[in-house]
Amino acid sequence: MINTIILSWVTFIYLAAFVFYVIRMIRGEDIWGRLASATAFVGLTAQTAALILRWMESYKMGIGHAPLSNFYESLIFFAWTIVLLYLIFEWRIKNKSLGTFVVPVAFLAMAFASLSPNIDSRIRPLIPALQSNWLTSHVMTCFLGYAAFTIACGFGIMYFVKSLDRHTGSRSGSMLRFLPARSILDELIYQSTALGFIFLTLGIITGSVWAHYAWGSYWSWDPKETWSLITWLVYATMLHVRLVREWRGKRIALMAIIGFACVLFTYLGVNYLPGLHSYLKS
Amino acid sequence: MRKRKISFRSLLSSVKLTIVLLIIISIASILGTIIPQQEADIFTSRLSPGMVSVFRELQLFNIYHSTWFVSLMLLLSINLIVCSANRLPASWKLYRTISVPDETELFRDTPSDRIILVEKPLNAEAARLEGLLKKKYKGISRKDTEEGTFIKCEKGNFSYFGVYIVHFGILIVLTGMIIGFLFGFDAYVEVAEGDSVDKVQLKGKTGLKKLDFAVRCDRFSIDYYEDGTPKVYRSDLTFSRNGTILQQGPIFVNHPATVEGIRFYQANFGTVPSGDAVIGIRKGREKARVVRVRLGTEFDLQGNDGKAKVIRMEENFMRIGPAVKIDIQSAKGKFQFWVFQNIEQIIEENPGLIDRVPIFNPGLFAPYVFSLAMIQTKHYTGLQVTRDPGVPVVIAGSFLLILGFMTVFFYAHRQVWIRIDRQGPNTRISIAGKTNKDPVGLEREIKGLMDEIQKSGVSNS
Repeated sequence: MINTIILSWVTFIYLAAFVFYVIRMIRGEDIWGRLASATAFVGLTAQTAALILRWMESYKMGIGHAPLSNFYESLIFFAWTIVLLYLIFEWRIKNKSLGTFVVPVAFLAMAFASLSPNIDSRIRPLIPALQSNWLTSHVMTCFLGYAAFTIACGFGIMYFVKSLDRHTGSRSGSMLRFLPARSILDELIYQSTALGFIFLTLGIITGSVWAHYAWGSYWSWDPKETWSLITWLVYATMLHVRLVREWRGKRIALMAIIGFACVLFTYLGVNYLPGLHSYLKS
Repeated sequence: MRKRKISFRSLLSSVKLTIVLLIIISIASILGTIIPQQEADIFTSRLSPGMVSVFRELQLFNIYHSTWFVSLMLLLSINLIVCSANRLPASWKLYRTISVPDETELFRDTPSDRIILVEKPLNAEAARLEGLLKKKYKGISRKDTEEGTFIKCEKGNFSYFGVYIVHFGILIVLTGMIIGFLFGFDAYVEVAEGDSVDKVQLKGKTGLKKLDFAVRCDRFSIDYYEDGTPKVYRSDLTFSRNGTILQQGPIFVNHPATVEGIRFYQANFGTVPSGDAVIGIRKGREKARVVRVRLGTEFDLQGNDGKAKVIRMEENFMRIGPAVKIDIQSAKGKFQFWVFQNIEQIIEENPGLIDRVPIFNPGLFAPYVFSLAMIQTKHYTGLQVTRDPGVPVVIAGSFLLILGFMTVFFYAHRQVWIRIDRQGPNTRISIAGKTNKDPVGLEREIKGLMDEIQKSGVSNS
């Protein structure tokens, strides 16, 4: 199938973009930065095309559904949302250093999807439980949330890396001078977390509505539901300590990283616990 | 004593308590995903009996509905209410923007990139700027002093209330959950094709609930895709009361039926004996006779040997396969025994079984030997039956939650002041701003505003 071939190429395009972002950090030449952004953009465009092709292909097979229905497709979509949100952030903050920290996550998700022998990349028909209009909105909001949290975690790591830089201002000779100032990073962690929090909330709500129609209960404490709530509580705590108790800097950066660990567990770890979402075990 | 009273109230209203509660609730939730919540045998068998009773005492097998977990949620709700009530007056003050800073102070060190010089009379400029600001801001006030003209404007002051909308939304969601818990129910029932029921098994409680109407399963069917995965689970149901049909139609997974506020979901399915079976009857060395029998219907054996009846039909009796129980009334007396479909295999695996357990001997009524060829089955559908009057409330709360987040995260209170005064031959326009959050956004906004002031000034001249 042509879409999986394009998608495996996109994996390498993202790897190339990551390499260019790193080179740009080390050598500090603007040309590498522009090349990196262009490469990431080409990758995103190709991936978008592949996703549309996959969608169309499923209709040709007579089992038409959005490519968001199994583990393979969710990994691909995760990578897509990360790169999409990343490029929007890059354009908004006019700083390319985040790419070094976030684009590799998209690459890893793609590589895992394309290379792992346990992941079935074929288009599969939807089992009855997934035949719902809520599938698309639930998966999209959740993964936009996950992507925003990935970016927040990227900013959090950047914050710690920036803290290693003893020189301040643009006079610093080290490559860390390309990272935004710590106060700006702190603000960016907050903004991306807030964005992710809204999407996570929407994801939980759409999931509840769907569960209400499919399982007869909007909340049944299934492990995935519970872990999404735990993630939500962790980020709620983070927003409260920042907004009310004025925590800033390292502590917030650390919470962004812890929060992302919860996101990863909600996404991947929960599949090893028994529950209603376990059909994700491909 | 007095001090203690104050500290208790301040404890309830403290964000520290909120954070501690959020963390404890998170940890409890994690525990609930690690400890099997149905007291699974495999898990309890790995614990010592003492541990099991400790776990049971702490309600660790049902964390999310345990007294202490519910208490934590309740405490969080109280904390939320007290916190919000304590902070609301301050927010109201901010909303009314009662605090007016000294304007000359605001413009003490205005950076040069916040100043525009124009060659126009002061009054004309002031009128023009006022008109321009009116389009984008509200709460515009103008003050003409000896030091110049000051125009003040603002927007987004409602953003102070976003946090209360969020908290109120959460309380509404929790209220909806309580309403569902108090006035709703959650039950399950299995209905075989052709059967009708009006009682359902409540979940998590013992006992049946009687419905005001009966539900009949007319048909259950499964469709498959070409590759063999299931495509559609469908139950055709008829709901009726005293013979009058209330509602009729199919339900699917994701497409429940609602009858008088009670929802019926496609949750499960399986097969049960339909009541028809095919058995073989052999007398001594004669050729076996194949008979189609129905549960509970009597049939004659040869001549006056007796009357036989199938009194039970099991698809998987004692987990060793399909079996029927036969009852024989004869001159020799009354006989009852089970006839298994795969009797040879069972005997092979359990030598001497029919001697030890005569009731499993298909030849108990000598010289007859019975055998079971097949049991006909039919589908049953497993229905989840629920009523939850709290759902609309939970939905309303969720809307408030999202609305509140939008206000908190996407809006900020921005105040902008413009001073217009004379500097030599020119009119000088200086801009200052204040915001409760997102200083970067304010910066961007002021930059945009300055561009607009300059552009519109050029086009006017």
